[in-house]
Amino acid sequence: MHIPDGFVSPPVAAAAGLVSAAALFVAFRRSQEAFGIRRAPILGLTTAFIFAAQMINFPVAGGTSGHLLGGTLAAIVLGSPWAGTLSIATVLIIQAVLFADGGITALGANILNMAVIGVWVGWGLTQTLQRLFGGSKGRLPFAAGIAAGVSVVVAAIACAIELALSGTAPVAIVLPAMSGVHILIAIGEGLITGGVLNYLSTARPDLLPGEQHEFRGWSIPVVSIFLIAGVLSLFASAWPDGLEKVAQNAGFINLADRVRVIVPTPLANYGIEGLGTIGTSIAGLIGAAVCFAVAFGIAKVVKPKDA
Amino acid sequence: MLKLSLPLRLQLSLVIVVGAALLKHHAWYCLAAYGAIALLWAGLLRVPILKLGGLLGTELIFLSLLALPLGWERASFLLVRSLICLIAMNSFLLTLPPHSFGIALKSLPVPAPLKENLLLAGQYMEILLSEVTRMQRSAQLRGLNGTAGWLRYASASMIGALYLRSLDRAERVYAAMVTRGYNGQLPIDSAFRPKERFVLLTAWTIAACLTLTSYRI
Repeated sequence: MHIPDGFVSPPVAAAAGLVSAAALFVAFRRSQEAFGIRRAPILGLTTAFIFAAQMINFPVAGGTSGHLLGGTLAAIVLGSPWAGTLSIATVLIIQAVLFADGGITALGANILNMAVIGVWVGWGLTQTLQRLFGGSKGRLPFAAGIAAGVSVVVAAIACAIELALSGTAPVAIVLPAMSGVHILIAIGEGLITGGVLNYLSTARPDLLPGEQHEFRGWSIPVVSIFLIAGVLSLFASAWPDGLEKVAQNAGFINLADRVRVIVPTPLANYGIEGLGTIGTSIAGLIGAAVCFAVAFGIAKVVKPKDA
Repeated sequence: MLKLSLPLRLQLSLVIVVGAALLKHHAWYCLAAYGAIALLWAGLLRVPILKLGGLLGTELIFLSLLALPLGWERASFLLVRSLICLIAMNSFLLTLPPHSFGIALKSLPVPAPLKENLLLAGQYMEILLSEVTRMQRSAQLRGLNGTAGWLRYASASMIGALYLRSLDRAERVYAAMVTRGYNGQLPIDSAFRPKERFVLLTAWTIAACLTLTSYRI
């Protein structure tokens, strides 16, 4: 995911550099306690550890390889996403300046993708999932494993958007390619992060954060989800998706109409018959509610009995 | 070996790397000029050729994996440019006296916490590598054959064990550093002398002219 020199245009590189510089400035301020006598070795060693881990590439399908990003792992071990940002940014600076892994002109974009987006998505999702699983410390590796995997995919999407904005490749090509490969890398990231945290929780539980309160702050995420599903869905593109477009061009779109057994779907085409655009909004709200209920049910099932 | 202070050597290496990195795409003549400068730099520092060759080979294999899918035209420029950057930085690193990276680092205009973290990460890398060697040796004594055999059995628990073993040693090293008066700052001052400032300014000016020329051609 390290963007080399020449892949991002100067405006995108400058904008990403500014955002990264601002994030690092805040990170320096907010992680002062990470430099005390007690914490400094943990920060230094975690940085060295992530650097070493990123040197070991594991093979991924399609002739590509991936490596640990380590943002979620760093943030959890250091107990702060700010310190995690600092740690990953240091790794990226060493790699760019000393080893030409990731370009110097693309350093801002790389820091933004991996040290800011990767770390914060992983950290935020770990917190949310752990609370959703009942707040138990024993569930931390599981929650962090899932969050680490998701953070890799989100960082890859951010990288794809930057490449598309730079005009390096069309978004329709670079976005599926980047997210597709990184879904496979995410599995490795999730397994390593979860496995290492599982070991650490047994051997040195003092290094990891304690029990979390059960998730009670429902309002903000729930309102956000329902706003997206209910309001933003009205502005969704009416153009056909990739498969539909191919089917239209190739002339096999009508094959679907010849299916003899028709399964009744109440919310077909994300709408309700006769309700127009409001139907899309209602369908979105119903869909979000069903997804939420299913996720909540799974969380309740996997939650430990003592939580 | 050229008698230059460590901070000046680091800064001059960075001039070559930053200048080459900012070149316009396919500005082959300017890239050739940077290539000649990088080779001259390696010669002046009297870098051990065999070590440099081995390191460059390994690093270029990783870079090729990234660059080659982009097509030959684009990949060739990116690879040559990366090679030049790697020659400059590896020449600096391979001729660096042990444990003196921190002195060179102090001269860089970056925030102090970042320098401290860079310095600690560099130091603890040695600890991490020595712990890997120890774990490999103990695995071999238990009957696992060679490095490949050990790696085949490496699991998340072993990575976690490596982290904890290294952390224990890192904490002891840091406590010893603090006892000896370390407060996050290196005691050695690395300010430039007027002559060195002039050399550095000249180098930056030449690099700026060369890089800007690539956009005019």
